[in-house]
Amino acid sequence: MDTKKLTHLGLLTCLALIIFIVELRIPDIVPIPGVKLGLANIVTVYCVYNYRPGETAMMLYSRILLGALFSGNLMALWYSIAGGTLCFIGMEILKNFIREDNMWFLSIAGAVCHNIGQIAVAMLVLKSTSVIAYLPFLMISGCIAGLFTGLCTQMVCKRLKRTRKVS
Amino acid sequence: MKKNLAAGVLIAALLMLNSCSADKAVDSTANVSGDKKSSGSVFAMDTYMTITAYGNNGKKGIEAAQKEITRLEKLWSVTDENSEIYAINHSSGAEVPVSAETEELLKFAIDMHGKTNGALDITLYPVLRAWGFTTGEYRVPDDGEISELLERKGADKITVDNGKVSVPEKTEIDLGAIAKGCAGDAAARALKEQGVTSALLDLGGNIQTIGDAKPDGTKWKVGIRDPFGDGSIGTLTVGECAVITSGGYERFFEQDGVIYKHILDPETGRPAESGLASVTIIGSEGRMCDALSTSLYVMGLDDACAYWRDNGDFDMILVTDDGGVYVTDGIAERFASNSEDVTVVER
Amino acid sequence: MRARTVYIVITAVILIGAAVWCAYVMKPKSGKTVVISQDGKVLYHIDLDSEKDKTIDVEYDGRKNIIEIKGGRIHMKSADCPDHICIDTGWLEDGKPIVCLPNRLVIEYEDGDIDGTAR
Repeated sequence: MDTKKLTHLGLLTCLALIIFIVELRIPDIVPIPGVKLGLANIVTVYCVYNYRPGETAMMLYSRILLGALFSGNLMALWYSIAGGTLCFIGMEILKNFIREDNMWFLSIAGAVCHNIGQIAVAMLVLKSTSVIAYLPFLMISGCIAGLFTGLCTQMVCKRLKRTRKVS
Repeated sequence: MKKNLAAGVLIAALLMLNSCSADKAVDSTANVSGDKKSSGSVFAMDTYMTITAYGNNGKKGIEAAQKEITRLEKLWSVTDENSEIYAINHSSGAEVPVSAETEELLKFAIDMHGKTNGALDITLYPVLRAWGFTTGEYRVPDDGEISELLERKGADKITVDNGKVSVPEKTEIDLGAIAKGCAGDAAARALKEQGVTSALLDLGGNIQTIGDAKPDGTKWKVGIRDPFGDGSIGTLTVGECAVITSGGYERFFEQDGVIYKHILDPETGRPAESGLASVTIIGSEGRMCDALSTSLYVMGLDDACAYWRDNGDFDMILVTDDGGVYVTDGIAERFASNSEDVTVVER
Repeated sequence: MRARTVYIVITAVILIGAAVWCAYVMKPKSGKTVVISQDGKVLYHIDLDSEKDKTIDVEYDGRKNIIEIKGGRIHMKSADCPDHICIDTGWLEDGKPIVCLPNRLVIEYEDGDIDGTAR
């Protein structure tokens, strides 16, 4: 891995972390655990298309770990890791079939995977299957948030390409 | 020709019946997923009794059951001056003619008295009255008074013969320990006679069910009251049966820091201190469950388990004073306990 | 272009499926028996119809939740956890349990109501 790539990944991690922490300041709209926009996902989706899986994973886990440390919510770490991992694996598989101009769908699929991971951990922690009742709510919010972050990524990619051409 | 006519009349009658029940059912029945659910309450035998019946015949059945319960109460009340039991208790030893139901129940009680080695005794009424459990004016009688009153007891002193009953003077019968269970059996019969195939009777906490399942196909779920608090110790999933609990928590009083519970040990004439907090009996016959719940409470854990091994046509859930739950293996799988401390009693 | 249509249809199917599932979960429960469990163990079975108004304290790892029962309803009154989602959930009304993830507490309606209580 060359220095340029490392720097890029470091910057991307930083960016994801900033977005993540800014998003924490937005108060919860719905009183359902786990519902959020997941804006940091913009960076993940971007990485999935532009970097190798190992590189994306580095960026993702650094962001999750540091995010949990900075927000002081270590209990949420396990949900983030489980959700993040499932989301990452799902997106890495699907990116082989979904072209860049349909990025929004990849993002939705990732978000739904993320939700399934969260609920799975919650079921393990609570030793109770009843939290599965929250999954459909998370899935709906995941679809909306995924669509939003996916479209954001698409726009970012388009603009980046344009700036690259210019420079 | 005649056959055709008979068939015609039958069909017409059926149609009319149908329309009748349909009209009637409108007033107080709720339509739950296609199955009518009716319920009715009656205050009898010192307690509220609620009957819930499913199906089109529910209302009719409930009315019949209520009638049956009030009829039996009139026969068996200790305080009603027109009751047969009152007549027996106040006949100064003379023979009293009684109904077939009373004769059968008394024979059953005498039989159970023998089987339980005296742990079930329906002649403890004078002692119960001395403690004030019959009136609510509680007091602690002294030893002399108790031993004097205990001389009057003894279910074996009752003579039942050919529809006539007599007890020695001063011996008094009180069917409190078995009347509710027996009334439940009779009420269940009345419901079935009206064509009810699915119903639940709650006779002041004695649960009796009709039919192996509710119309939606699910079994009956019966909670078992926690003797130490407001909640339950678990839930039992059952088919057609009686579930009857006895416990010291039902009625008690406190004097000088001592708690006196209403279930008396016939041996001592004092509240039974057997180490059990409650006894639940699950069986097919209400009167048997009722009788056993009281007598096994008096016996205590070890004797109750021994009795179950010897007679085992029932199942039970015992709760000890220190919170332990003992469940017989016949129902262990159908009992979802809230407690950690559950022991399965094997044969 | 064709791929996009397929993706839109898949998304719609997921959304509709989730919505139906949500509707099923939000169907008001007929039962009135509530189960409070922690760490997979049932702490209380409560019949809301017959329960008096009261509060129940549940502790976990030094943190405390206070559950309140009032007028036949139940909710989380206070909690020592960082997010307070369980309090925001409000009264228990449907199949959505009240969950306090940090304190591993679940309040939910029991499947199938009790028909009677032997006492």
